Amino acid sequence: MIRFENVGMRYGPGPEVLRDVTFQLEPGTFTFLTGPSGAGKSTLLKLLYLAEPPSRGLITLFGTDLATARRSAFPALRRRIGVVFQDFRLLAHLSAFDNVALPLRLSGRKPDDYTHDVEELLNWVGLGDRTHAKPPTLSGGEQQRVAIARAVVGQPDLLLADEPTGNVDPEIAQRLIRLFGELNRLGTTVLIATHDRGLIERSRSREMRLVDGRLVELRRG
Amino acid sequence: MSESRQRVRGRILPREKGAAPLDVVIGVMAFLAALALGASLLADRQAESWREGLAGRLTVQVLQPDHPTAALNMDSETDAAIQILRGTPGILTVTPMSEADATKLVEPWLGADALVKDLPLPRLIDATIQPGAHVDFAELTARLKTVAPDSNVDDHTRWISRLQNLANTIIYAAYAILALIAVATAAAVSFATRAGLEAHHDIVALLHQMGAHSGFIARAFEWHYLLSTLAASAVGSGLAGIAFLAAGGLEFAGVEPVPFLPPLGLNPRELAWLLAVPLVSAIIAWATARLSVLAALREIY
Repeated sequence: MIRFENVGMRYGPGPEVLRDVTFQLEPGTFTFLTGPSGAGKSTLLKLLYLAEPPSRGLITLFGTDLATARRSAFPALRRRIGVVFQDFRLLAHLSAFDNVALPLRLSGRKPDDYTHDVEELLNWVGLGDRTHAKPPTLSGGEQQRVAIARAVVGQPDLLLADEPTGNVDPEIAQRLIRLFGELNRLGTTVLIATHDRGLIERSRSREMRLVDGRLVELRRG
Repeated sequence: MSESRQRVRGRILPREKGAAPLDVVIGVMAFLAALALGASLLADRQAESWREGLAGRLTVQVLQPDHPTAALNMDSETDAAIQILRGTPGILTVTPMSEADATKLVEPWLGADALVKDLPLPRLIDATIQPGAHVDFAELTARLKTVAPDSNVDDHTRWISRLQNLANTIIYAAYAILALIAVATAAAVSFATRAGLEAHHDIVALLHQMGAHSGFIARAFEWHYLLSTLAASAVGSGLAGIAFLAAGGLEFAGVEPVPFLPPLGLNPRELAWLLAVPLVSAIIAWATARLSVLAALREIY
């Protein structure tokens, strides 16, 4: 389903950030991506959510070879991916509700059709009373929960999260991981980049570790 | 409207506060475009009135003979010419112009002094031609020359064609100005769109990342520029319309019209043409914004 073969990545003339990365994510799996800061985790996620093309190697996403796919096919591929960015990337002028509803709007769904789902999800992440609030008035943890709700609202085929529990207390973190687990049980492939060892130990899921741009398989889930 | 419906109407791009410099530029452009369009309409109307006034007419001019005799002088030549004209098939009316009328004609250039009365002004005979009738001017001129050797015939074609050329020059110059303004408007909107894309780069990048089609992102921009251009150019061409109305009102206020200049006021039908300026400006802005955004998005992976 998702396959990297000898993928290398460098920014401009700089050194390679990722080297000969080869792995496969089967549909419906749950994987942790770990590694020290600067090891290339965010770059690997960027390649997965089609923010950058690789410098070399082959990437296959949902059975589509990105090297030969037409650019016009990319928006449809991107809509099958939910991303929780490390810096959240919420739209400051839109309410929490509108931010969460954005992927549904982009896929052409009508407000009458998704209002209930969005409100329910905001309740689930503990923001039922902050639906009107704009991101600048929310705390870091609240913004993170809005970002997570936005990533999962469309039930994507692939969920990518960059340090999704970095700004929330342990209780909320557990609740969010349960949300990811729920989504995973419904068929979503989940890949979470994190430093949180406790989170990884509790879940027994597969763990891939990046060290100096190279990928090491630590544990098979 | 329910609360939830209001919430989901959030604009993809934040609303700009106050009039942007672009609005001022577009407003001025629209004002100039409406002036140019109004000038072309005035020139067209004036050319038409000249054509209507002069077509189907001819003027015979009888000059003072160099050596007048009892048998051949200005009066006798004028009378003979009138007889020839009246006897020519196709000529409807023949009206000799009085000396007072002739003096009035030169008044705008020479004034109404007593001096003018001493000038050897030619006698003028105004004739109208039956609509659809054909008059052979060469043959008529030859016949007139036999009885009135100091006469000449002017069928106004040279004058009409010169006026037509003048009107056409004004009209084409106005079109050229309109084309230049259209190009400048497109350039200004393109520049503003690029600046807008820069300013909203985070939003555009996020939407692109989330799988928004280029058309979806372009729509957010093109509507913004379409509406703001429509408003700014409506103000600009509205002011130009007021200027034309004011120019038309000068005559009613008793201001003397400038001789040979057409009245500068536009009639309601011509004023309605000025509505085309905001509409065309908005279409130019819409198309330019769309093309600029699509071109910029093609550069992103």
